Formats: sequence, C-alpha cells, structure tokens
Amino acid sequence: MNELAVLDLILEQELDRNPDVVFLATSTPPSWRARFGAGRVRTCPISEPAMVGAALGAAMTGLRPVVDLNRASFAFLVMDQLVNHAARIHYLSDGAYRAPMVLTSATRGPQQLGPQNEQCPYGVFMQTPGVRVAVPGSATDACALLRTALRDEQGPVLLFIAPGLADHCDLRAALAAEPQPFGVARRIRGGDAATVLAIGSAVRAAEQAAADLAAEGVLVDLLDPRTLVPFDTAAVAESVLRTGRLVLVDDGPRSGAPAQILSGLLDVPGLAEALGGRIAHVSAPEVPIPSSPVLEAQFWATPERVVAAVRRLTTPS
Amino acid sequence: MASALPADPALPPVDARPVDGFDPVAAYRTMVLIRTYEERILQARTEREVIGPVHPYIGQEAVAVGVCAALEPRDHLVSHYRGHGHALARGVDPDALTAELFGRADGLCGGKAAALVSDPATHLLLSSGIVGAGIPVAAGAAMTSQVKGDGAVAVVFFGEGALGAGVVHETLTLAVVQRLPLILVCENNGYQGATRTEEVYPETSVARIAEAHRMPVHRVDGNDTLAVHAAATAAVAAARAGQGPSFIEASTYLTRFHLQFDRPSGEHRPAEERADWLARDPLGRLRQHLLAAGTAPAVLDALDTDAEQRVDAAITFARTSPWPAPEAALTNLWAATP
Ligand SMILES: Cc1ncc(C[n+]2csc(CCOP(=O)(O)OP(=O)(O)O)c2C)c(N)n1
Repeated sequence: MNELAVLDLILEQELDRNPDVVFLATSTPPSWRARFGAGRVRTCPISEPAMVGAALGAAMTGLRPVVDLNRASFAFLVMDQLVNHAARIHYLSDGAYRAPMVLTSATRGPQQLGPQNEQCPYGVFMQTPGVRVAVPGSATDACALLRTALRDEQGPVLLFIAPGLADHCDLRAALAAEPQPFGVARRIRGGDAATVLAIGSAVRAAEQAAADLAAEGVLVDLLDPRTLVPFDTAAVAESVLRTGRLVLVDDGPRSGAPAQILSGLLDVPGLAEALGGRIAHVSAPEVPIPSSPVLEAQFWATPERVVAAVRRLTTPS
Repeated sequence: MASALPADPALPPVDARPVDGFDPVAAYRTMVLIRTYEERILQARTEREVIGPVHPYIGQEAVAVGVCAALEPRDHLVSHYRGHGHALARGVDPDALTAELFGRADGLCGGKAAALVSDPATHLLLSSGIVGAGIPVAAGAAMTSQVKGDGAVAVVFFGEGALGAGVVHETLTLAVVQRLPLILVCENNGYQGATRTEEVYPETSVARIAEAHRMPVHRVDGNDTLAVHAAATAAVAAARAGQGPSFIEASTYLTRFHLQFDRPSGEHRPAEERADWLARDPLGRLRQHLLAAGTAPAVLDALDTDAEQRVDAAITFARTSPWPAPEAALTNLWAATP
C-alpha cells in the first residue's frame, strides 16, 4: 500500500504499540483490519479533505491518526483542513489543543506519472507554519522519523517519501531504526572542499557524486537534513562556515525547499560573507514534470550534475 | 456483488430502444477497436514500451461508445486516467494517442501527458489524474455553451469513487441550480481501486445520491450499448433544450484489473463475480444483437480484422516516432500572447 513497504511494517508495529493510533486510507490491508479492527483501520471513500479534517478532530480529542494520502499531489486537495485548521489549532487556541497527526505521501520516482502526479511539493509546506515536514533520504531514516512522528505530541507531521528509497532499502537496518529526533541533520561524508546539502531522493545521487569526487581527492561535506521543518541550521551553518561553498541538491524545484533553506542560512551571522556567492543549485527546472522519460531525464539531480556543480565552485577562475 | 442491475422502483425504466441515427455496426467497430487497443497497450506496458501506469478500460467499452455516439463534434468532453476508451470513442487519432503513451514526440501532447491526454481537435478538454477533479471543469465548459448559446453540451466520465469527493457534490448543486448543459456519466464498476464500493458508501446506487441533489437520473445497464446510447441521447436532448444537467449511472465491470505498471496487476476478484460479468461482456452482447438483427457474421469478422490492423499501425507509428527533443520539456508553461 505504501511505496516503501517497510513503512507499513513500522506502522503495524506502532498500531500494536499504541491503541490510540488509527489509520485512514482509501485502501487498507485486510490483515490490519482483521488484527486491529475496522475502528482503528479505516477504509475511506476517496475524500482526502474529509480524511484529514477527521484526523484533526480525532487528534484533538485523543487519538493519534495517520492518513495515507498516497501521492504528494493529493496534499493539495487538503490545504484547507491541513493548513487553515490542523496547522493553526495549537497556536490559535493559545496552546489549549494539540493536533498530533501524521500524513504520509509519495513524491517522485521515475514512474512517469506526469505533470499532475509526480511532484516534490514539500517547499510549499515549509511556508505553512504549524506543520513539520520530514523528507528522509533513506529508508532507515523514513522508518525512524515515522516512529517519532507517531510518538511525539507536537503537531501535524507531513512525511514525504521518495519511491526510489525502496530500491536501496536495507530492510534489517530500517526495521531496527529507533525514533530519531526531528531537526537533526545526518552527515554522510566529511570534507572541507564544499558543503553538499541533499534532500530526499536526491541524497542517493549526491552520495554517488561525493564518492566520485573523493576518488579525485575532492572531499565534500555531505549532509542530509532529514527534516526540513524543523531544520538543523546549526549543523549546516557550521559546515558552510568551514567550507565556504554550498551546493543545494533536490529533485524538486529550486524555488521550493532549496530557496527557503538558503534564505534561512543567509540569516546566520557571517555565513553570507563566508560563502561570498559560492552557491550552486542542482534541482528540477521550474516547470511541471513531463511524462516522457527523455524529457524527465533533465529533472533529476544526477551525480554528474552534482559533480559539475561542486567543480564549478571549487575551480579557481 | 449484484451481477444483474438491481431493481429500483423509485425510478422509471429507461426506454432502451435504439435512437434514430444510431448505427450499431459503427458502434461495434469502435468497441472492437477499443478492446483490441487496450489488449495491445497492456502487452506494450509489459514490454515497457508504454510509459507510466495503464488503467485498462476492458469491459466498459459500451459506456464510452454509447455516450459518444449521442454527441456532436461541437460538444465537449472530460475524461480521466482510465481514458483510452473515451478518447477512441470520441475519435481521437490512435496514432497520436499511442505515441503519447510511448512518450514520443508525435504524441498527442508531445510526450508530456502519457495517459492524461487532452485533444482540442475532438474537444477532449482534459483527462484528470485526480479523482473527481474533472467534474467542475466539465461544468465550466457547459457554462461556456450556456453563455454563448451555441447549443453544445459537456460530458464528463467518472467512476463511482468520484462521488466520495466533496467537489463533485458541490458541482452537482451548482449545475442543477444553474441548469448547465452538463451530462455526468458515472461508470459504476463496483470498485475503487482495491476497495469495494459497498465498504465505503452507505448507498451503492449512486443514482440516489444524484437524485438527492435534484438531478434527473438515468440508470442503465452499462454493458448494453443500446441502452447507454438511449439514455445519453435523452440526456443530451434535455441539456440542449435548456433543461439542465442529467446523471447517467451505467452499471458495468472491469474484467481485468484496476491498473498495470510493469507487470499485470496481481489483483484478485471473486471468480464467480468475474465470470458473471464476462458472460455479459458488452462486445459479445452487441455482436449477438447484430447477428440476431441479420448482420452477416463476415461483416463483423472483417471489423475485428480491421481493428487489429489499425492498432498494429498505431503501435508501429509510435515505435518509429522520435523521442522528444529535451528542450521540449521547458516549452508551453505559458501560452503565447495571441
Ligand atoms: C483525489 C485522488 N485520490 C486518490 C487517487 C488514487 N486513485 C486513482 S484511481 C482510484 C480509484 C478510483 O475509483 P473509481 O472512481 O470508482 O473509478 P475506477 O477506477 O473504478 O474506474 C484512486 C483511489 C486519485 N487519483 N485522486
């Protein structure tokens, strides 16, 4: 049911662990309904706003709902319930109510779903205060963050999963993943030549690029923020102040997460000076994602594009 | 799941006699084309020539063909992800459609859309990948006809799953009150992906839902081309006469599965249910009707052969069409100033 099957195993464990966890989706595993009952595992009509609004009411009154939105593009259908209501309730009730709920959805994979259904819209949700946004770069982190999302109380969590994470899934590690606090970046490789910050499905390409560069003796600091809200500004700023170079890598558009991350970093004292304009982006063009694979080929943050971006910043002109 | 249409005493029976101007042989030709096409597209998906998911229409052909035969070229159409049948019934060029499904430069939408095609030549506005979302768009096309007084109608096809979406109910209200020349064609196949509709709806006669919105309803056997056509003709006539929208509930069945990616879906349906529906296959039924009415079997056999040749030609066209130029990905985000 989920693009990343291992998340279903985690969710099943969490359903088992906490009787307040309820699951809402248009399609649910019969084995879960048999095991946890139709009260906690709810097959719903194709009514995403109803599911998310109901999840909010349930969360406010003591349940821990998880809604599987299926594709990230369906998150646009639920903007009112999610943004105007779920993301606002704790604030507007001056802390009286909480909305601990989780929304999962799949972003882009090379699935040729085309302009409507292949999207990385997490940048949009970074602009809506009151939701936390997790975009893990590995299956293991996806599992860890799902556990955290289900266990903490702070408010709505959006968990965006790249279908490609399934291709490189270390099942054993993923299943064993302990909850991981939000807002802690993962350093995948250390180096001083440049900071490479990669998001979601682009992490894999950046890892390959970093390995290729390392073979030439260029060592980059490769970071995966794992969550965009909250964002680990301290870790990324430390790296950028040290390297003086930043490459932002994402399979979504530059105007989304990368632009917002960069503007946040530029507020860190001394960081703009340290960078001195040595900033590069590897991201999708600012158009919808076309279906044809030859058109879509340009919409991926490939290792080659990341290597080229690092070279551009590290080669003296 | 009922294999026959359940009786509904609240509604008068629809007059299923063929309407003047309806050519059942032509309908058979189109239905065979759609069936042959769909079979080949599923195979081409397995061979990874088709890109993206394929949502087959096999088993539901009578709905698209019965409805489209009641339309004129000026009318507008909105379809969805399961739209090859609607497109072919509407007269979309099979070559361009196939090239689109193959992601090629000669595709209907230049390789950008895959199955979610648009085609101004046949007034196919949109094939939305978002369940229910096309219905208000069709209402807008009906609004244009109302304002311009051009006598055109708008038709939208959707599955019964779309009735879960709030926007569909909102549009029903708007369309009835504004008397839009809109025809809503609900292909009720009993399933919403892997979920059976009875699990998620309090009322599986979606006709009743439409009635609650005060929308006139035709309930038809969606595997009977003539019955579908009769209902569509009545709905189109009412819309053209300024009487407003109608809702057609066509009961039908997908005899394969919901969707295929690389491999055929492993989805299971109760064997008895599937056998019941296969026995009522729309193609076989129309063929029986034609033979009983005196059509020579050779005429129909020739149409089967024609369909195969047409589909072969479309596949060859798509295979030999070039890939789009990479720069094409960045074109047409904005329309040029006329
Ligand atoms: C808003 C939205 N939610 C979920 C989906 C995923 N989805 C695609 S088809 C489908 C089932 C639709 O069933 P129905 O409307 O009955 O049409 P059928 O596929 O049976 O023709 C679902 C849930 C979607 N495309 N859009």
